[in-house]
Amino acid sequence: MVGTETRGIVARPVRRPFAELVSPADPAWERAAEVAVRLLPTPLEAQPSAYVQAAWAGRPRGGIRELGVRSITSAGALLIRLSWSAPRPSRGVTDVDAFADACAVLFGDEDADLATMGSPEHRVTGWQWQSGRDRLFWFSARGLGTVERAERHDLVARSQHVDGSWRVVFGAPLDGAGGPAIDGPAARIAFAVWSGAARERAGLKSYSPEWLEFRLGGRAR
Amino acid sequence: MSEGANGRQLAMVIDLNKCLGCQTCTIACKTLWTRGRGMEAMWWNIVNTMPGRGTPRDAFQLGGGYRDGEPVPGSLSPGRLYGEAWDFDYDTLFGPAEGPGRLRPLERDGGSPEWGPNWDEDIGGGTYPNSYFFYLPLLCMNCSKPACLEACPRSAVYRRDEDGIVLIDEERCHGYRFCMEACPYKRIYFNEERSIAQKCNSCFPRVEEGIAPACVRQCPGRARHVGYLEDPKAQVSRLVREWRVALPLRPDFEVEPNVYYVPPLSPLGFDDDGAFDEGQPRIPLEYLREMFGPTVDAALATIEAERERVASGGTSELIDVLISPRWLDMLGPLTVDPATVRPDREP
Repeated sequence: MVGTETRGIVARPVRRPFAELVSPADPAWERAAEVAVRLLPTPLEAQPSAYVQAAWAGRPRGGIRELGVRSITSAGALLIRLSWSAPRPSRGVTDVDAFADACAVLFGDEDADLATMGSPEHRVTGWQWQSGRDRLFWFSARGLGTVERAERHDLVARSQHVDGSWRVVFGAPLDGAGGPAIDGPAARIAFAVWSGAARERAGLKSYSPEWLEFRLGGRAR
Repeated sequence: MSEGANGRQLAMVIDLNKCLGCQTCTIACKTLWTRGRGMEAMWWNIVNTMPGRGTPRDAFQLGGGYRDGEPVPGSLSPGRLYGEAWDFDYDTLFGPAEGPGRLRPLERDGGSPEWGPNWDEDIGGGTYPNSYFFYLPLLCMNCSKPACLEACPRSAVYRRDEDGIVLIDEERCHGYRFCMEACPYKRIYFNEERSIAQKCNSCFPRVEEGIAPACVRQCPGRARHVGYLEDPKAQVSRLVREWRVALPLRPDFEVEPNVYYVPPLSPLGFDDDGAFDEGQPRIPLEYLREMFGPTVDAALATIEAERERVASGGTSELIDVLISPRWLDMLGPLTVDPATVRPDREP
């Protein structure tokens, strides 16, 4: 079941233990609707480093153009599964010249600027997974180059690489400090993916260029 | 040449005519700074034989720095081209089946290393009898126009106002390694365990206490001078600015380094008949120009003239400074004995 991103993303409740849902292969994920999110390379001129702009001019980047997003809730927890094609997966930072595959989920309020990763007045927050790391990062930003990361014990991520694709599940308590701020009927969400094989890192990535609506759905199935 | 915001720049002059290639500086640095987790293969200070391919291999051909003011894209080398922290094949050496043999270094995947720090030691260049080499100590150059600083999208690299020392804020560093690409001397290492970039910090905690950096203080060849460039009486200032015999390495990288080198003098070469060739220094001037820029001819001429003056019974303030019979003179204002500083006292 694949929807379009214009419908936004709805996290439907399911009755299954959180510990099983964090597995990317759990059957509940196959029953959850998938939204295909279009991704674009981040603009090179927005990179906050003259060196990066010069070194990456004319080099391929942002090659991952589609991300599958599914989301469910269970017993006060929010889970989001991202999947994308990665025929040459990077298993992590295994050498000086090796870079990790990675993905991130970003949350922001209605006034937060996605292109600049927030602003001094409007913070954005999110979760980032990197291949080869046991724990994910919780992060916040108030503008380009201002990302602050932390490891939080209440956030989990599980990943698997199967049939040439990554599947990564993020899980967090809905009322925890590390989760999204869903005060009203909907929150805003965005995504980013880094290809380690393409040596992408920092602001060099594929990203969803507009905020998407994110809502918590109805009854549990 | 620009200085720190308050007009003071810590600088180092290394006299390549006095460097023994003994790596005491390297070990002093290793002992003091790079014994931590993930730092096993780091050599913030290393002495390479030149001409040579350097550390990492082909270091000066990996890009970085600037050309006509524009950043030059650089590349990263895998760890094996820096040289891993090798294990050794003790089983083969002492094992019952093989008996005594060679102690072979092993990389972490069990393979044999193909490169390491100062791998091409004492090989040098030229053809016998005109073969030659010299030693080139390398460390962070505390550049006035640090390419590493400009490359970092997180502003994790900064240059101190008080003395121009360039440092990496390990709390801000996310291990993106743009700084490593951008450094044309390839003097920044990657800590895989902590996923951060690390480099020589000029022993800044010592400097703040008036103590010379460990590589300077431990040098048995007394090859290193340290001090502040803005002090016209400082040895470093006189060697760099007054006598102009201490030169930046690879000035074509356009990063304005603050480690300077007194270029190596050459013995005469031999002609085809085995006689001294008065017109042919053993180290080709073209190579020295590539390494130290076009003013190397004048620098060498100055040193040779002053040396000749002393040999003829005269005196030379320049030669006196290069020799520095009173060792503490080489340390500028950083003459405090570290043994006199209590590590546990209040700052």
